[in-house]
Amino acid sequence: MLLCIDLSGEIPEPEQWEELLDALDAVSPLIDDVRSGLAYLDMHGSPGGASAWMTQTRTLLSAYGRVARLGVGLNKIAARAAAHVADGSLCRPGSEAELLAELPLALLDIEPEMIERLTLLGIERLGDLAALPHGPFVRRFGSAAARWHELAKGVDRRPFLPRTRTVAIEASIFGEGRAVDEAQVFFALRMLLTRVCSDLERCGKRAGALHLSLELEDAGTVSYDVPLAMPTAAERTMFEMLRAKLEGATFEAPVVGLRIQARILEEGGEAQALLRAVDFDPAKVAVTIARLEAILGESVTRATMRQAHLLEERFAYEPFSLDKRKVTPLQTESDRGSAEESRTAVPQLRLLEVREIPVELRAGEPAIVDRQAVTQCAGPWRIQERPFVPAPITRDEYDVVLADGTFARIYHQGAHWYLRGVYE
Amino acid sequence: MTALASLDPTRDDKVRAFERLKAELSAKMGPASLTVEGALPTAIPEVDRLLAGGFPPGVVATLEGTAGRWSLAAGLIAELTRRSLVAILDDGTLYPPSLAEAGARLDRVLVVPARKTLEVARAVDVLLRSRICRLVLMPAIALRDAIWSRLAMLAHRSGVLLIVMASRAGAALSAAAEVRLYCAFDRAIVRGKRGLWGNFAGFDFCIDLRKHKHIPAARLGTARLRAALH
Repeated sequence: MLLCIDLSGEIPEPEQWEELLDALDAVSPLIDDVRSGLAYLDMHGSPGGASAWMTQTRTLLSAYGRVARLGVGLNKIAARAAAHVADGSLCRPGSEAELLAELPLALLDIEPEMIERLTLLGIERLGDLAALPHGPFVRRFGSAAARWHELAKGVDRRPFLPRTRTVAIEASIFGEGRAVDEAQVFFALRMLLTRVCSDLERCGKRAGALHLSLELEDAGTVSYDVPLAMPTAAERTMFEMLRAKLEGATFEAPVVGLRIQARILEEGGEAQALLRAVDFDPAKVAVTIARLEAILGESVTRATMRQAHLLEERFAYEPFSLDKRKVTPLQTESDRGSAEESRTAVPQLRLLEVREIPVELRAGEPAIVDRQAVTQCAGPWRIQERPFVPAPITRDEYDVVLADGTFARIYHQGAHWYLRGVYE
Repeated sequence: MTALASLDPTRDDKVRAFERLKAELSAKMGPASLTVEGALPTAIPEVDRLLAGGFPPGVVATLEGTAGRWSLAAGLIAELTRRSLVAILDDGTLYPPSLAEAGARLDRVLVVPARKTLEVARAVDVLLRSRICRLVLMPAIALRDAIWSRLAMLAHRSGVLLIVMASRAGAALSAAAEVRLYCAFDRAIVRGKRGLWGNFAGFDFCIDLRKHKHIPAARLGTARLRAALH
């Protein structure tokens, strides 16, 4: 039997809903979390009857200040129909179709446009829908209609999908004195990480990120989110990451408390070096990036290409990560092919800080640029960015070779000339 | 023996005899016998030939001059990013679309935004120690001899190639560098007519190998290269 909990009257915030579901674990460990405010509990094998389950649930919800409509049925649609008809009712096996007949189509969770369309055809209740001939109805409304038709008759083939349990793995230390230098903090971190890692191993999990909170003597709190390059349960890697993150950090007061939480928990092991086609270790990369960021105070980035006309807008930087979706992990066919081939050098443009330059024209072409004679010139190429805004950017770009051998990209915008970059 | 037999007490003759002896010894070694073990090839045949297979790993190398040095570096980056990571210490002048055009995988290029001298030195230190990259590229900065020596030692220990992009290497950098290449612009290649109906297809440049830890001075050579836009 399934117990339906319907909080549709007052949909809770996602965090509150999660908290509520965690509490409902006491009623049944198998909970199908459909959406915020609607869940089904699998009550097979639970002691007591429907009324006892509902009383227990109601008591638990009232502790959180929540009032829900409850119903019990053999499947999801029956349990939901029971909750809809009257709070605390039970749909007896075999009476599903009868109970559903008078209920609105909205119970099927279909789009309002479809409900409107069906209503125009005179189908207002689930009983009307169930009475339609199955074949013609499905032919007219598509394969999804087969499911609606079955649901209207009380046949629910939707699987029960139990929500995954949230495992909280964390370790903390408070009230054990005060740490005034980094060695003491690192010592405590090592101790906490040993605990976190042993918990991770016990659960067969790997952490994708760590959250470190430091409580200071002046009642302040400093927090760090430390993403790991790949999920791991290795204490050494985690410690290196945390140490790198704390490098260069100074606190206003001694540290009196520490808490480490393992986050983004994943099942499974780590890729072994022997099986990787690339020769870098993701854990080392993550530690190095954290060190660099601690030194520079800025993110280490990678460039991504994008479509644009202006040179400076054809790329963007994003924080460097070894996200599987962003780094090609294996040698591809094209890589193997290129190993045999030879390359030709490709001119590289270097973007200089844009500065206005004096340019003299001869026959409409730049003849003297920045006080140097132009030996060769190509252009102009008209570039217009954002042409549909009131003031679009319009430029005429030229490539010029100067007498001293500089090969430069210059542009003319408005009444001024600018040096954009040089080819090297 | 012929060279020794012709020795003359005057200084000029001594120099001439020494040069002749060097030339004879270099000729005996033969050009094909020299290949640098574990060299990092650029896949640009002319450059790899000049460097006896590619850049030696674990050294400080300088790419000096103006036009051509980044074209050369881009070839090496493209080759190395097939399997490894490459770090570039960017002073704000990097133009990634050009790198991508040269075949570099931008997802494997760490762009480290370091502009101040101390930041650059510390970032290079961290990168060399970590050994996560096969190549670290940095702009030329004014560092003391001791720091260049230290970076050279770190590069040697970690096996990471450290390339310094310098218009002209100073005395300290020249001493620390074990490979020095000088690039000079030769001529631009124009496709089509001049002006509106023409565009640059690239440029020719010369590379002068001025120092190489594995190649005797008498055999250091030059190469002409074309950097061509696709």
